[in-house]
Amino acid sequence: MKPIMLHGHERSITQIKYNREGDLIFSCAKDSQPNVWYSLNGERLGTFVGHNGAVWCIDCSWDTSKVLTGAADNFCKVWDCETGSQLHSIETRTAVRSNGFSYSGNLIMFTTDKTMGCNCEIHVYDLRDGDQLASNTPLLTIPIEGSKITSAIWGPYEESIVTGHENGEICIFDIKSGKTVQSCKDHTKQINDIQPYKDYTMFITASKDNTAKLFDMDTLELKKTYRTERPVNSAAISPLHEHVVLGGGQEAMQVTTTNTRVGKFDARFFHLVFEEEFGRVKGHFGPINSVAFHPDGKSYSSGGEDGYVRVHYFDANYLDINFDY
Amino acid sequence: MLDTMTSGKSWAEQVDQGDEGLPPPTEEFDEKRGIKTITEYRNEDGKVIKTIKTYKIETVKLSKSIAQRKMWKKYGAAANDPPGPNPSNTIMTEEVFMQFVQNKETPVPEEEDPLSKLTKQKIVQCRICKGDHWTTKCPYKDTLQPLQEKLEEGAKKPDIAPVSSSPAPNKPAGGKYIPPTLREGANKGRGETMSNQRKGDEAATIRVTNLSEDTRESDLQELFRPFGPISRIYLAKDKNTGQSKGFAFINFHRREDASRAIQGVSGFGYDHLILNVEWAKPSTQQ
Repeated sequence: MKPIMLHGHERSITQIKYNREGDLIFSCAKDSQPNVWYSLNGERLGTFVGHNGAVWCIDCSWDTSKVLTGAADNFCKVWDCETGSQLHSIETRTAVRSNGFSYSGNLIMFTTDKTMGCNCEIHVYDLRDGDQLASNTPLLTIPIEGSKITSAIWGPYEESIVTGHENGEICIFDIKSGKTVQSCKDHTKQINDIQPYKDYTMFITASKDNTAKLFDMDTLELKKTYRTERPVNSAAISPLHEHVVLGGGQEAMQVTTTNTRVGKFDARFFHLVFEEEFGRVKGHFGPINSVAFHPDGKSYSSGGEDGYVRVHYFDANYLDINFDY
Repeated sequence: MLDTMTSGKSWAEQVDQGDEGLPPPTEEFDEKRGIKTITEYRNEDGKVIKTIKTYKIETVKLSKSIAQRKMWKKYGAAANDPPGPNPSNTIMTEEVFMQFVQNKETPVPEEEDPLSKLTKQKIVQCRICKGDHWTTKCPYKDTLQPLQEKLEEGAKKPDIAPVSSSPAPNKPAGGKYIPPTLREGANKGRGETMSNQRKGDEAATIRVTNLSEDTRESDLQELFRPFGPISRIYLAKDKNTGQSKGFAFINFHRREDASRAIQGVSGFGYDHLILNVEWAKPSTQQ
């Protein structure tokens, strides 16, 4: 395969996402301008200008009309995807770490960092209610007492929020009551990324403890564990095959102090069920920070510490791969 | 010549004038192959640079919403980009291939751990296999110890006989100090010993067969080290895969060690296979 390299960021990529139909890729980095690209040819559609700090998270509504970004400048912003203009700007007390549109695109959720004497919090806003945004009074605020949230996604049916914490804990919050419904602690270190399966029946977590794990969305039951020998920064489940892709590498701060062995920074493909690694793709000059599958499963993208997004269209030899069992 | 005089410029200056002297950009479209070729000319430091861009035009059927999004105007930092990918942002890279891996986990290279280096130096020595671990933790405790004892018994018997007559006696592994005069070969002439040594080198070679494919030299080293010093290990490997072909030659310093190794390891179950150990046939006569 011949990857397309997208060079729109000056600093390391923090998150990449496809929209629902997969024709656009959204990327955000530690510089202040998130980008949006056409996935087919790598053409840049535009950038969202307005943030003033590292952008940690990005999401897109189901109809690709709105884009949500959260940044370290203590703002969570909603953009018009067609024109790139800012629709709403929500000021927070600390940096916004992760965010997401609900399935309907009406609710937005974001989590804030535990810094400067402020606790970590989950905020939920209803975009249909202009008062909430104007007066900055969220529909729901859930304060988190313990370890801070490092990654969060919406659960199915907009009823819950799945959160991954700095201590490896995973919780499900009910957004009606704001209470923890389920929690587990199968990871021993920070959860870097959570990505749902296409039908929201399960999700995969990527953790600093060198593993990625597959959980049942309803019961939080640990289904599978994918082991590597380095921290996993991001993991995604293929919507087409029973495959998962893991991106990682040693931490950015350790890159210069450990020996540079090639093959540390490749994306690794595991079989979803057998937990067996079957393929690797090289390319990045640093750890991979975010991976995402195209919704049709025939291509995937990765964003790395090197500031590049690489869009890969799979060859036939991957798509035809079969496991004997 | 006259012409240049009238216009007052040399042809070279005319080119320098800029775009006037440049051929107009051309655009060709090969409909059959769907390839569009754009040829452009521009001036740079007095040189005309011809740029040929080749695009492959593909027609893809898309849903209405995607097609609509394709028509959106660019914005932000990309607002001034021409239609099509901007080469400064979108870079086609070299072909990469997915490497298919068989093994589940690549082992962590040992060199990275300074402690593992230390353990390679012999701080403790096992009495059974001479490995660098405590005797009680010897992996061959159950297999090699009885074997060793048996061999030692066998070695002790000829010890009773006069030392000079028997070539077999040999200090038991980790045994008493034997002065050089009493060591084997000491009663013989000096030159003889030397030549014997040579011959012995050739002769103290054993052939091990029925090894498993995963066997490595280090495994053989571990297996045969208890019998005495080894001068060379040759493990036949497949050129392409690097896997063992299933046989190996082991050169001992002493023929006695070799014979003990044959006695000891022949029929020894190793890695689910029963090893077959015999004297190596002498190498091709010159």
